[in-house]
Amino acid sequence: MSRTDEGVPGEPRGRAAAGSPRLRLSRGLAAVRLAARGGARYAGSAPRLFIAAGEHRERLRNDLALQTAEDVAATLGTMKGVLMKIGQMASYVDDGLAPPVRRTLSRLQDSVPPMSAELAAEVIRGEFGAAPEEVFGTWDPEPIAAASIGQVHRAITRDGRAVAVKVQYPGIAKTIEADLGNVALLRSLLRVAAPNQDVNALIDELRERITEELDYEREAVNQRMFADYYDGHPTIGVPRIVDELSTARVVTSDLVTGARFAELLDWPQTEKDLAAETMYRFTFRSLYEAHAFNGDPHPGNYLFHRGGRVTFLDFGLVKYFTPDELQPLVHMVRYLCVDEDPEAFRRAMEEADFLTPGAPLPTEQIVEHMALFYDTVRTPGTRTMTKGYASAVARRYFDFRNPLAAYARIPRSYVILQRINLGMFALLGELGATGNWRAIAEEIWPFVQAPPSTAMGEAEAAWLARRPRRP
Amino acid sequence: MTADVYPAAGGLVERAAAAFVSSVPEVRADDGYFGPASVTWRLNGDLSAPVAGLRSLLVQALHPLAMAGVDQHSDWRADPAGRLASTAAYLATITYGDRVTAQRAAARVRKIHDRVRGVDPVTGQGYAAGDPDLLLWVHAALVESVLASADLFGGPLSEADKDRYVAEMTAAAELVGILPGRAPSTIAELDDYFSAVRPVLTLSPAAAESTRYLLDLPWLDEEMGGLWRDVGDAAVAALPEWAARLYGLVPREPVTEQRRAEVRQLLGVLDVLYLGEPGVLEARQRLELRMRQARRGKA
Repeated sequence: MSRTDEGVPGEPRGRAAAGSPRLRLSRGLAAVRLAARGGARYAGSAPRLFIAAGEHRERLRNDLALQTAEDVAATLGTMKGVLMKIGQMASYVDDGLAPPVRRTLSRLQDSVPPMSAELAAEVIRGEFGAAPEEVFGTWDPEPIAAASIGQVHRAITRDGRAVAVKVQYPGIAKTIEADLGNVALLRSLLRVAAPNQDVNALIDELRERITEELDYEREAVNQRMFADYYDGHPTIGVPRIVDELSTARVVTSDLVTGARFAELLDWPQTEKDLAAETMYRFTFRSLYEAHAFNGDPHPGNYLFHRGGRVTFLDFGLVKYFTPDELQPLVHMVRYLCVDEDPEAFRRAMEEADFLTPGAPLPTEQIVEHMALFYDTVRTPGTRTMTKGYASAVARRYFDFRNPLAAYARIPRSYVILQRINLGMFALLGELGATGNWRAIAEEIWPFVQAPPSTAMGEAEAAWLARRPRRP
Repeated sequence: MTADVYPAAGGLVERAAAAFVSSVPEVRADDGYFGPASVTWRLNGDLSAPVAGLRSLLVQALHPLAMAGVDQHSDWRADPAGRLASTAAYLATITYGDRVTAQRAAARVRKIHDRVRGVDPVTGQGYAAGDPDLLLWVHAALVESVLASADLFGGPLSEADKDRYVAEMTAAAELVGILPGRAPSTIAELDDYFSAVRPVLTLSPAAAESTRYLLDLPWLDEEMGGLWRDVGDAAVAALPEWAARLYGLVPREPVTEQRRAEVRQLLGVLDVLYLGEPGVLEARQRLELRMRQARRGKA
């Protein structure tokens, strides 16, 4: 049987691994497209927060709890865990997946019950050689939240520290690794789920991200870095890792309580604006100064406190940039928004490999296409983020019918950045947040370093001033 | 006959899912003919179920009289997805429904069978769908296909569980009108039955044509069609050697460990589609809760 020819241009659709039998799943991902049809019948798609789930559903989930490693494999094996991750990664983006596909994939998330208390305890025993009640002084067997490949328990350490303990599903790493090996199937899935993207780059990205996320030690390293960096920050909080209680499958950090994103939506607009300002500052300060991007703008990964304080959770997906990777991005924003030099902007795009050098397109057209992405910072003044803006950005990002599309691409190291960028805009749009984003950006842009523009900016400047100098 | 006579039809996943959801009762009089502790419940929801369904159609078509009955009386060409979905619905209903509901569904099927009579153009023999021999054939082919498919692509299944499944399924045989004691109740009896019936089996032109169609449903869109062909290839790989020989079919790929994992991954994707249909997750959760209660009760 021959493969259907619907490959990415320039990429032969051949067998994934020569010699090894591979399913012809190319079109298989129609699977997901089909799923779309089913999902389309569901109304609404409120952010799904485990904590907010109804009591009945909670009880049901507990009655259905995964009791053995075999249950885990049955629930998250045979591609299901991988599909769930694809759904999560894509869910930051309004138009990244067709909404029905997203709903079907979130249905899949709903289908994953928590581990039973015994199974979670078994993981703790496997990692620390003792029962949770011995490792921690006090252990709450009831999980307080679901993590993508694990769940979070509350505990109090022997020295009295209240902590959140993320426990990974047993055997999940091996299961997902095996499923990630079916490149032919993955390629088909992604071709349908994200038809306009460089599928090979996405697969690499997906594999890398999932592999990273399975490694809780790496997550602890990331979180430690962010916690150190933002130590003492007036509005940005990152829970501290408890080193001696963290392993490759268990990560323990300080327990923080706060309002969930869905609750924040009911707060006064001034609170939403402040929360948005903190999220915005966090994103861009991390990028420009720490050269790191926390890649998981899922609404469940924030806790909100009055006065604009935000606790950032879950550092499983962090992208670090080398100065060489970051420089062209800095140039792009600088030439477009500050120097207003379109030709230099175009050169920076080419330098970053976003644009084929010598593309037969007038620079004005390129600027016009790209300007939307910089809309919030291109001109001074306050602006209100809207869902419409977030969608428009995402649509343009995925608009490959545009004449520019033939010459534009997203280099691999920026894939996640762009996606998360869109995710943050989606959240700020949801909040309807108003702010002078340009002024805030100018405080952070390394080539401007403007004085504080808001009260939060003043507080942040004071924090920066008393912070020990870093290398 | 060419594929042109088959109308564009679709919605196989949607309709099978809807049938499944409506067959799992929220309120019920009893646990039905099998119950939550049965192997039948477990196998019916197994990942390998789509392969089992397709394989059993392939096997069933090899009996010329059974094939003639389907060919001359069924509306399956007009609405193939509906036909497959209603078979799936019937099986789900007698599996998960309470006894009264199962009996009602079986009575409807027996009534339809009463009208299915004719002469097989291949053998010249008269046939009637209600003929216990034909009913037995269809039953045995289903039971054996479920086991063979689960063995190859499903979860772990002990020899004792296989025997139990064959024994449990005699209830399904009796529901469609096979006399008690006639349906095989052990693996050994099932094997004997197939040895005895084999001389009758042949690939009639109707069987060749309709199974070619089944393996490559032309009305599926291209991508879904490819997925279906892979399921078909798995069903062919699960065929008994004698059936594969009659069809002249060889699976494109031998079932190595790797191939088995790939088929399971494919079936997992298919299962996600199914799960995405309204009500499927809730129906599965209702069943899972009852199965867990049954296990706890036994322990």
